[in-house]
Amino acid sequence: MKFAHLSDIHLGFQKHESLQKIEQQVFEKALDECISRKVDFILIPGDLFHVNIPEMRVQKFAFAKFRQVHEAGIPVYGVYGSHDFSPVSNSVIDLLVAIGYITKVTKVKNSDDGKIALDFLIDPKTGAKICGFSGLKVGRDIEYYEKLDRGSLEAESGFKIFLFHGGISDMKTEAGIEGDHMPLSLLPKNFDYYAGGHMHKWNHQSFDGYSNVVYPGTPFAGFHSDLEENSKGQKRGFVLVEFEDKIKDVSFVELENTSYEIIEIDANNRKADSINKELLEKTQGIDPGNKIVIIKIDGEMTSGKTSDVDISGIRESLYQREASAVEISKNRLTSLEYRITEAKGENKIEIETNVFSENIGQFRFKQKNLISDAGVALAKKLLSEFGQPKLENEKKSDYESRIRQDALGALGLKFDDS
Amino acid sequence: MDEFSVVGQVVGGKFGDIIIRQKSGNDLEIGDLMVSEENGSFLILQVFSLEYGSQIQGKMQEMMSGVNLEQESNAQFYEPEFVNYVLARIKPLARVYKENCEVKIPKSLPSFFNKLRLISKDDLKFLQKEKDSIFVGYIRSGSKVIKEAEVWLPAEDVFSHHVLIPATTGRGKSNLVKTILWHVLDTNKVGALVLDAHDEYFGRQSVGLKDHPRAKDNLVYHTPSNPPVGANRLTINLQSIRPEHFEGIVDFSDPQFQAIRMAHRQSRSNWIRDLMLTDAVVAGMENTSQSRGEFAAATMMVVQRKLRLLLSLERDEEGVVFSRHEVFDSTTRGLTTVDDIVKDIEQGKVVVLDTSRLGNEAELLVGNIIASKLLQKYKDAKASGELDRKPVATIVIEEAPRVIGVDVLTSRNDNIYSIIAKEGRKFKVGLMAITQLSSVIPKTILANMNTKIILGNEMKQEREAIIASASQDLSEDDKNIASLDKGEAIITSIFVPFAMPIKIPLFEDIVKEKGSKAKPEKTKVF
Repeated sequence: MKFAHLSDIHLGFQKHESLQKIEQQVFEKALDECISRKVDFILIPGDLFHVNIPEMRVQKFAFAKFRQVHEAGIPVYGVYGSHDFSPVSNSVIDLLVAIGYITKVTKVKNSDDGKIALDFLIDPKTGAKICGFSGLKVGRDIEYYEKLDRGSLEAESGFKIFLFHGGISDMKTEAGIEGDHMPLSLLPKNFDYYAGGHMHKWNHQSFDGYSNVVYPGTPFAGFHSDLEENSKGQKRGFVLVEFEDKIKDVSFVELENTSYEIIEIDANNRKADSINKELLEKTQGIDPGNKIVIIKIDGEMTSGKTSDVDISGIRESLYQREASAVEISKNRLTSLEYRITEAKGENKIEIETNVFSENIGQFRFKQKNLISDAGVALAKKLLSEFGQPKLENEKKSDYESRIRQDALGALGLKFDDS
Repeated sequence: MDEFSVVGQVVGGKFGDIIIRQKSGNDLEIGDLMVSEENGSFLILQVFSLEYGSQIQGKMQEMMSGVNLEQESNAQFYEPEFVNYVLARIKPLARVYKENCEVKIPKSLPSFFNKLRLISKDDLKFLQKEKDSIFVGYIRSGSKVIKEAEVWLPAEDVFSHHVLIPATTGRGKSNLVKTILWHVLDTNKVGALVLDAHDEYFGRQSVGLKDHPRAKDNLVYHTPSNPPVGANRLTINLQSIRPEHFEGIVDFSDPQFQAIRMAHRQSRSNWIRDLMLTDAVVAGMENTSQSRGEFAAATMMVVQRKLRLLLSLERDEEGVVFSRHEVFDSTTRGLTTVDDIVKDIEQGKVVVLDTSRLGNEAELLVGNIIASKLLQKYKDAKASGELDRKPVATIVIEEAPRVIGVDVLTSRNDNIYSIIAKEGRKFKVGLMAITQLSSVIPKTILANMNTKIILGNEMKQEREAIIASASQDLSEDDKNIASLDKGEAIITSIFVPFAMPIKIPLFEDIVKEKGSKAKPEKTKVF
């Protein structure tokens, strides 16, 4: 018997057309592999979509592919991730669940007395017992684990799988975002397999009481930094697991996505002219045809503005030379003269979090939800709501109303027409 | 003052050693606090010695005792309460001005023949809890506890100026540290690193800091094995260790240190792993000079052996270096542990590290790695003008002479703990040093410990060291310190107006009263 474990597909993340195509191809290839390898079931522990309601283009190809999987008789078990779930509106996952293409594994027996008792979902074909929790933004799902009645889950016999969406601090290899990780000890013990989502790199480890804690990572990219990792040779794909009453083998199925070129520039103690010159030389020295070109400029310039580093010209010339996409990272570029970025970070979310964390201390409010960690969480939530794109065919007024409602929802307020 | 509350009357003495006669029917104790009402103010005085006084000559008393004992008679003095009495020697602690509750160091004697009464809660109104302060106990008068008079210390000042807790075993050190940390957990104004050599603070088996209502947000517990639900596994990657972390902790000779630095230069982050996997003999023979090669091989073998013992390192059949107690890892685990811990402390959390499975030096090394990074971050924050926004950080270290003892500091280089003791105050980083042996801590460091919470100590040499470095004059308190019972303490600090006798409450009682109680409420699960 075997199952596939995919996560963090982030459908709808890519904005550039050529990258959207790769995103779709990789997703379809992954599920095609599952069908051709005749897996008994597929696990997707969150962030299947980049937002709770992605654009129609994305929904269309996702539904078509899940229909194929469904028709092949392969059940898909999943939980929400921090991206594809919204507490105030529906998620497209709910539609996939409603038509039976995906089954949510979180079956709550009881949550009234300060404890959360979970029931197992049993895969009819293999008898595998599956349960788990969705991942909420900024680690709010930790409360689930703190209240989890773990005794009955741990005592259950049989082949058991636990789905979760969140970082595990015991497996952390880089700093990451505040509140993004929880200790492994929060998960119930004695499961045969822990199907993780949220961390974007393939990672498989075992600990005392916790065998096979696995993150397949994203099959393509869910953050801009993932593309950079890809260009440096990060393997992408999904996990294939063979089992009987115990795990027999856990292997990684690599999926090719595209070719990359990366140009890294150290801007420390330099001026824009010299950086521009190096950029030009380095871009001229590569063949960008049908490749994703990543340009990363890090460091603190001695003078001038960071905008003096000429990106647009470089980008244009690379597209003229048929690069499929050009991704430029200047997140960690600063200037001694004009310090415009107060907080640094590896990716957009990290920068946003760090900027809010750095500046929240300047505010003095009596409302506790506007200050300290709660304030940062709220600011991030608001920013995320305001960043929601307009849906295809959505009227401007509907879009405005939706964004307003979501933003008010994030603030815990209701819109009063009067 | 009504006549019933009078306990004695000033009858003589000099400043700092005033003699009072005890009123009959009272039972003054060493350490009792009493009040002498003056014009517009009152003096707080403390008993430091008790003796008998009598109007009858000694020979006569002895003879009378002889009559009683030898003739089995029951001879008594005529009006005994007038004839025989107790004399108490007292010293002034503070003068409190009634109008504004201002407390000053007394510079004059109480009025002669003034009648004194025992202190009451109303006399201690000046002990008001200020914002962001830490509770340490209740004012104690002798063995009587005045529960209404709580003693709170200003957290930021006290912790950045270092705290010394001198005491012998069984006098309530752990109880005191737990009580202090419990109140540190109330806010995010103080970050703490606790190297818990006995795994007693978190409360894995019984009550502990985990029972604090804010423990979920403000307490972080790292333990090497089988962490309880919500706790972290204490794993530190060997890549986090740099050669300088051994300085002042481990006894390496100069050639051994050179070998270590060379290994670090060659392999950078994976230097310990690579060094442990190096065949010392082969590496030594590769050297051009035969004699030097042998020397290098021998040195490397010693370094390997020391590191193996210190970090409990082993090598498995696949050549992976691992530590037996699982704290140190040579693969990908624990790469961010040190940064995570420092970040938590910077956010005003209490980080408890269960170091009970580590050897003495390994424990100090772990503390050294974290403390070095913490101090550096606070120094950077000061340089960029952001120090004001950071909480004060304190490092709780037991058996402090291991790192700030005079023999350690003279035989080896300065280590991070002694550096923090000397200059940490400027950067809001302090030590909370617990010790049985204050006498082996250099005076320069003792003098920098501006708050001392003195528990009972039967060793005269230790009491003398504490008294000599106290922030208030404790020269008459030798017996007082010797007679401190379990949970009784004297606080001497530049942040309290006088050396305060306190009673530290039982930690279990605090938990019973203020500990978190589970609320059965429904949780919406998505």
